[in-house]
Amino acid sequence: MKYIPYALLVGAAALFPYCVQRVFLHTPIEAEMGTAQKIFYFHVPLAWICMLFAVICGIAAGVQLRRRSERAEALAVAAGEMTVLAGVGVLITGPIWGDATWGTPWTGDARQVSTALLWLVFVAYLLVREYGPPNSERIAAALAIFGAIDVPIIYYAVKIWKTTHPQTGVVGSLPQSMWNTLFICLAALMMLSIALVWIRAAQARLAIALDQAWIAADTQQRAAQPA
Amino acid sequence: MDELNVFEQPEQPEQAQASTEAPGEAPGTTKVEGRDPATVRLKRAYEAEVENKVASDYSHIVWAYGVIWAIFAIYGAILWRRASAQRADLAALQAKHK
Amino acid sequence: MRLLRQTWLLARNDLRQEARRLELVLTAGFFTLVVVVMFALAFFALDGSVQRKAIPGMVWLCIAFVGALTLTRVFDRERESNTLAALLAAPVERLAIYLSKLLVTLVVLLSCSALLVPGLGLLFPSSQVFSANPLALVALIVLGCLGYAAVGTLFAAGLATSSGKNVLLSVILYPLTTPVLLFALVATQRLLEGHPELWGTLSQIAALDVVLIGVGAWLFETVLIGAAHSSPAHSSPASNGSARAAAVSARARSKPVN
Repeated sequence: MKYIPYALLVGAAALFPYCVQRVFLHTPIEAEMGTAQKIFYFHVPLAWICMLFAVICGIAAGVQLRRRSERAEALAVAAGEMTVLAGVGVLITGPIWGDATWGTPWTGDARQVSTALLWLVFVAYLLVREYGPPNSERIAAALAIFGAIDVPIIYYAVKIWKTTHPQTGVVGSLPQSMWNTLFICLAALMMLSIALVWIRAAQARLAIALDQAWIAADTQQRAAQPA
Repeated sequence: MDELNVFEQPEQPEQAQASTEAPGEAPGTTKVEGRDPATVRLKRAYEAEVENKVASDYSHIVWAYGVIWAIFAIYGAILWRRASAQRADLAALQAKHK
Repeated sequence: MRLLRQTWLLARNDLRQEARRLELVLTAGFFTLVVVVMFALAFFALDGSVQRKAIPGMVWLCIAFVGALTLTRVFDRERESNTLAALLAAPVERLAIYLSKLLVTLVVLLSCSALLVPGLGLLFPSSQVFSANPLALVALIVLGCLGYAAVGTLFAAGLATSSGKNVLLSVILYPLTTPVLLFALVATQRLLEGHPELWGTLSQIAALDVVLIGVGAWLFETVLIGAAHSSPAHSSPASNGSARAAAVSARARSKPVN
């Protein structure tokens, strides 16, 4: 069990060069968007990972509240961090790609805005966890649950809001070979992110255990001193 | 306008070449087909456009991939540091218990 | 039935205290006035068609600001007189506490909107279209404020017992309430334009409100119990912020010994 994340890391490290080689040498260049479309193969999986870990964070937070489980709490924190991390990646690579193909980095497209809003929710989650009052892990958990529930609502809200603005170009249909490459990149990124979340969750649990051990040692010591 | 100015320069020798070859149909030489100045200029313009596009795509891709990998590398480094801090913490706790 | 009666009793109690001092309504109302004046100063030069596009934003930004201000104060009374723990110990349904606070927040927000919308109408002539469809306007404001307050009350309750953490409420509140505010923005835009799908959008907001109130009611108990038990005497050693602080001080104490 302990070595699974490291095995995943090694697997991801092995898969990444193959991904890059495949993306640039063995996948045809997309006709409309040209070479810049190569960003797609890491941008889209990152966006999916961002959404996936947002939902995982919400579910883990729900379990944390219901069962008072430390394991779920650790997983929620780790998943929240991964959501923010992948969100940063998506929100930076998206405008880079947009700049290359649409000519403007930020079109205010529904997906861009909803991803940005989702990202904000999870940044708030991490902020509350880090700087919140003593009971903040419960508030943060509620926030994460709300965030996970908000994922579809945000998307729909932004979509309806967009109807008052001009529409922008969208990605058309892609041939199968590009999707295959995309899924290999997705596999590599998933391995990497699962490994990182796993390691982070283990660290969070270890941190809780260490805190408890320190408090126990301290109370023991203080009980011994006056006697 | 700007692009046109750029292409004016390389166009000069091309035209000179075309003018030298056109009148002198000396024996032993073959006539060059499809190299009239207009086509050449058009081709040059396309080439330059493609070159700009390739360069811009290249820099965009490098930036995007660099950002993704930098993000994961930074997160990995943070995890690494936290792990070593925890190891030190554990060692301190064990030293205290001895 | 019991739930509704308890909700009404708690809300009436709060509203009666409010009616005696008018603290929340007066401060929030004055804040609304200030915001409207600031909007007027900032945007007075906009011409008609642009005004019409800017007004939904003004309405909901103002409500979002006033809401955050009100929500930081709604639970203050419980904090100052430490009645939250007593309220939790009392034989009252937790849901009733949530709903009553929601009601109080909603009343304050609605009284502010009663000032805000006519004020905007006075300062920005193109927003006088509002008066063409008063029923839709009232429905829109009530539904929008309800959704905002449903999210806000939950997190205000969670942060009630911690002092000086009001920034965190805004940090939580604005990203989470963006969906309902976006819907409300679209509905306001449609109201101003006389769009035929106005009532469709309003019913979508109503559905969203049901979801938000449902989730809020579901999560309220856990959040509130965390808030009421956050005093050091009650804190469990496991996975708690105060445990973190205790562990830090434990490490600090052990340093000079070694």
